[in-house]
Amino acid sequence: MASVSVRKTFVVLNSRARDIKFIQQRALHMSLSLKGQDIKSIENDKETSSDTDEFRVYQIEGLKRTSSVRRAERWSKRVPPPRYRSMSTEQDWTDVWPTASTFKWSAVPFPVRQGYVENSSENEGVIPSKYANLELMKGPNFLHLTPAHVQKHCKAIKHFCTKWPEGLETDEQCQKHFPVESVTSDYIYAGPSLTDDRARVASIKFKLSDLKLDYHARDKFVRLVGDRYNPETDDVFFESNRCPLKSQNLEYVKFLLTAVYFESWKNESWEQGKQLSDMETYVWNHNKSHKTCMSLLASIQAKDKTTEGELGKLNYLPENEVDTSVICGLPEVQQYKVAVETLFNVGENMETLNAYKMAVEKLLNFKSDV
Amino acid sequence: MLHHQSFFRIKSLSCVWQTSRGISLTASLCKNRKSGVPKITPFRTKQLTYEEAIPPSRINVRKGWLSFNTSNLHEEKRAAQTTFEDFLVRRFLTGTWHRSLASEVIIKRRHNIVVLSFLVSMERMLPRQVYFLQGYSETMLSGWLKMPVKIELQSVASQSDMVFKKI
Repeated sequence: MASVSVRKTFVVLNSRARDIKFIQQRALHMSLSLKGQDIKSIENDKETSSDTDEFRVYQIEGLKRTSSVRRAERWSKRVPPPRYRSMSTEQDWTDVWPTASTFKWSAVPFPVRQGYVENSSENEGVIPSKYANLELMKGPNFLHLTPAHVQKHCKAIKHFCTKWPEGLETDEQCQKHFPVESVTSDYIYAGPSLTDDRARVASIKFKLSDLKLDYHARDKFVRLVGDRYNPETDDVFFESNRCPLKSQNLEYVKFLLTAVYFESWKNESWEQGKQLSDMETYVWNHNKSHKTCMSLLASIQAKDKTTEGELGKLNYLPENEVDTSVICGLPEVQQYKVAVETLFNVGENMETLNAYKMAVEKLLNFKSDV
Repeated sequence: MLHHQSFFRIKSLSCVWQTSRGISLTASLCKNRKSGVPKITPFRTKQLTYEEAIPPSRINVRKGWLSFNTSNLHEEKRAAQTTFEDFLVRRFLTGTWHRSLASEVIIKRRHNIVVLSFLVSMERMLPRQVYFLQGYSETMLSGWLKMPVKIELQSVASQSDMVFKKI
């Protein structure tokens, strides 16, 4: 705006040179932003224009660039050199790589390459270096778990550690003092929610031998818990997921243990009517084998009395008539009893069958002449 | 053989319809069309990064995965959600880092943290723009995924640094 007003002033100057002073003042008044130098140049121009009749051209200082000054490059554009170039060999690596992080080529001070090149057309036949290498960034790295890091971690958490209690050095001791083992799980996965319906499951495990039970109570306990009892390891395992919360489930399995324990000690009236088919194991005394054996031995005893000579007689039997309980207590009969019981309870295999054979040979005084 | 038969049948019909173009109703063989395998250009001018140059059949042999999570393991949850979130994250970052995303985005999930790592070309970017976009992307994605999102990006001087092969 200022320059326009000045040009107008020149037109007036050339046409009427008389009122220079007045017009100069007017120009000054019109263009307040003009500086003193500009006024000076107006005066100079007036003098030179008197030689030629051409319009003078006003040169505004600084409008046209006479010399170009090269500005310094923007500092923000400059990328500093990678950090590994300025690392000293004495540095603390834990300060460089404090936590788990993606592989960063500029901070790793060793040369490493990853990738596969088939021929010279790929990456000029060279395996890609660590710069701009996405493959190195993909896999997890252990640069945050060096011995120095682990040492620092241990030092930091040592403050929170307590001494291991005395008398719990071995697993047997732990088992003895803490017989019930409860297991609960917490789940964390890549999702926005912390809740997981699998976390409500709670379980307890204990040895059946740790409970104070007599023969009847133990038998009843095993019958009540069913397949929750493992006879091979003698472990009882209660697990529950029926309640919505973990604490509720844990409470419930503890209640189960209490309830089953006291229930198994109870002797109900209907338990007296236990039949042979209800027996949990084979008991020789209750079975037909016992009766047959006794009658057989009695008849042999009677026969041995009447026959002459020692051949084929059962020498271990007493001479007189005795009670069946005395005969039962004889070592030969006892051996036979054990052999039959193991044959039924353990099952048929070479050992039990051989033991049975030996017991029968001894019981009936067989002599194999092989 | 089957292809030819059906082709001729349609061709004879097409005479009735007064059209010259035949259509094939049999499935095409597509033996040269493969997903993730770029076509060779006549003068071998197409520039490929390492990730693009290795076909998907070589994953776990010559290149690794781009998504790391446990959703696909046995009895783990959120397989579909995780896949969709990865898709969303990749779309968002492609648009946000427009023309500056020099590589694919690696999405690693550690516990409930989502770690995104990728390379940014500094040709058109100032460092302060990178910092802004990093914070912007982290904030926006954290809000949408409802999980803390961390961006561990690295810069490359130009896109040409990524060229592995020309086909």
